[in-house]
Amino acid sequence: MSRLRVPSAPRPLVCRWDLDKTYLQSEFDSLRQLLRTAFERAEDKVDVPGVAELIKAIKKAAVRHGRTALVYFISASPPQIGKAIREKLVLDGIPYDGIVFKDQLAHLKRGKLRNLREHVGFKLVELLRGRVDAPAGARELLFGDDWESDSLIYSLYADVLAGRLDVDRLVPILRRIGVDARLIDQVVALVATAGRQDAVERIFINLERRTPTGTFRLFGARVVPTFNYFQTAVVLAADGHLDVEDVAAVARTLLDRSGYTGRRLENSLGDLVRRTVVSLAAAERIGAALRVAGVLPTDTPARSRWRRMVDAFRRYRGRRRARRAAAPAPRRAALDYDAILDRLRPTGREPSVEGRPT
Amino acid sequence: MPIIAIDAMGGDHAPGEIVKGVARASLETDIDCLLVGDERRIQEVLETVPYNPEHISIVDCRDAIGMDEDPHEAVKNRRDASLLVATRAVAEGRANAMVSAGNTGACVLACARDFRLLKGIRRAALASVYPRHTEYTGQDPLALVLDVGATIRCEAEELVQFALMGSAYARRISKVPSPRVALLNMGVEASKGGETLVAAHRRLRRMPALNFVGNVEGNDLARGGADVIVCEGLLGNVVLKLVEGIAEVFTDVASAAARRRLTWRIGLALLARGIERLRELTDYTQYGGAPILGFENLFIKCHGRSNARAVANAVKVAAKAVRDRVPAEIAEAVASLR
Repeated sequence: MSRLRVPSAPRPLVCRWDLDKTYLQSEFDSLRQLLRTAFERAEDKVDVPGVAELIKAIKKAAVRHGRTALVYFISASPPQIGKAIREKLVLDGIPYDGIVFKDQLAHLKRGKLRNLREHVGFKLVELLRGRVDAPAGARELLFGDDWESDSLIYSLYADVLAGRLDVDRLVPILRRIGVDARLIDQVVALVATAGRQDAVERIFINLERRTPTGTFRLFGARVVPTFNYFQTAVVLAADGHLDVEDVAAVARTLLDRSGYTGRRLENSLGDLVRRTVVSLAAAERIGAALRVAGVLPTDTPARSRWRRMVDAFRRYRGRRRARRAAAPAPRRAALDYDAILDRLRPTGREPSVEGRPT
Repeated sequence: MPIIAIDAMGGDHAPGEIVKGVARASLETDIDCLLVGDERRIQEVLETVPYNPEHISIVDCRDAIGMDEDPHEAVKNRRDASLLVATRAVAEGRANAMVSAGNTGACVLACARDFRLLKGIRRAALASVYPRHTEYTGQDPLALVLDVGATIRCEAEELVQFALMGSAYARRISKVPSPRVALLNMGVEASKGGETLVAAHRRLRRMPALNFVGNVEGNDLARGGADVIVCEGLLGNVVLKLVEGIAEVFTDVASAAARRRLTWRIGLALLARGIERLRELTDYTQYGGAPILGFENLFIKCHGRSNARAVANAVKVAAKAVRDRVPAEIAEAVASLR
């Protein structure tokens, strides 16, 4: 006698977002810009094109499919500018579930000036704290940018959480990076309580500085550098976190408000396939739906029969090649962080994985 | 925004420098670039440099025409070579203009095969730029010379058409309101140079729409008396190669001298800033490339040794020529002849 299988409740999804350069187009290349950012009003702050729509889409898709999606922000900005940021999130209609700021004043009081610029320890602690408070079994998506060391921080977090990187190996890495000893102690304590689960599915890096994508190969397929939030939405749709209508919503925002064209979006889609972030089959499926939705151009000029045959063959060959490019296979071992730091860290300085740390 | 097709596999440093040039253009401009070539190799290069994928699409093709291949044979038999796939993309309307640093003969033949000549144009012309003396600040340090090899022997009518094409191109691209056009000849007198040049001179002198300044001799080329120099392909090619050869010999002699004597080395070191400035002024990479004129579609031919900067600038020049409707302007100028 067969037994009815009761579908288990979908695992909650936790999305953790960096703020500056990931959500906000913050400018702090110079001291003047830094000061301006600090005193900026909410209505003067500018969000990265498509990001607000994407966060709303994640929430909407979760509601549509009867699952929970939680959105948290982790910012290395001081809490003193928190009011303006919270107001900005309200202005943008972002449904978020928590926000954390870095208490820079405390570091100043302690005379730990180095900690003002060092974010690895701070973010790792906050990520682990967030994990302790997260719903049991939650999957995680992490969003950062290529200004700070987000790909490194998030990868450390993912590997620690999955149990691939134990404390004995983590501590020397953090020491090498120059993380404050007190923060290392906190990390060690939190690792013990955070539990073990391979929870981090994807780490998205917004290529605000246009860092060469090859740089991120070191971090494996889990880290996905994207050039715009349309690309991020496409990857999320391919992974099943969004529906095509959500991708279309993000695309429409870019078309209507940020001067994008259908061709720019189509090229973005092609780039994901070439980088084997999304399989050709998934890209074709999403692309076809977006064409029907009027987001991608449909007016391809007529080609010869021979050319169409050649293109069809190439698509077939591409599909075969790209089968291995779908969702990242589960990692069995942690990344080689020593190799990553050897390659990316100038001697005696904090690692600046994608550029100088802020 | 215009779409520019780029032959990623053509050139001495292809695909590396070509792809880097396109990556650079994608960051600096809104021009849409259609890279044609081996997708895997193109992607490998792209992943090492900053780029904006929103402005780059790739047409995958594995074949490429080598720099030393026989152009006729290659264009006839290598249908799926990147150069020919790119010219077809332009001819079919998938791109508005094209850029290549590949085999020059093959480029001209590919244009002749896939593009249509503008109405009234008898022969296409391959143009090139060369450094010349500037007379005022802001003057373009590079002048245009055409034809440099597309048409070996010309009739007077064809030289007149070259003058109109060169003038239209310089007006749009070099922003010279009334470009000075000259015939390259063996003397400044109107009667010099044989039947064809005399007839061409006579016809050009009678054209009020053209700022024809008469004949110039070889030694006037670098003095900057004209913005557009018109000549037969054979002569133009000899001139171009001579200029390049002199520059190379000059560099070689200077290097050898510097190695031989300390005083010369010191002298060169003292002149280093001036030499560098001269090099910057006459740097062909700032121009990117020169056009093949006379077709309905525009083709910018880059130097075979082009680096990323030259390719990026060639893409910009191509886009500018499309935006400024250079082929249409040439067609109008030629129509006024009839």
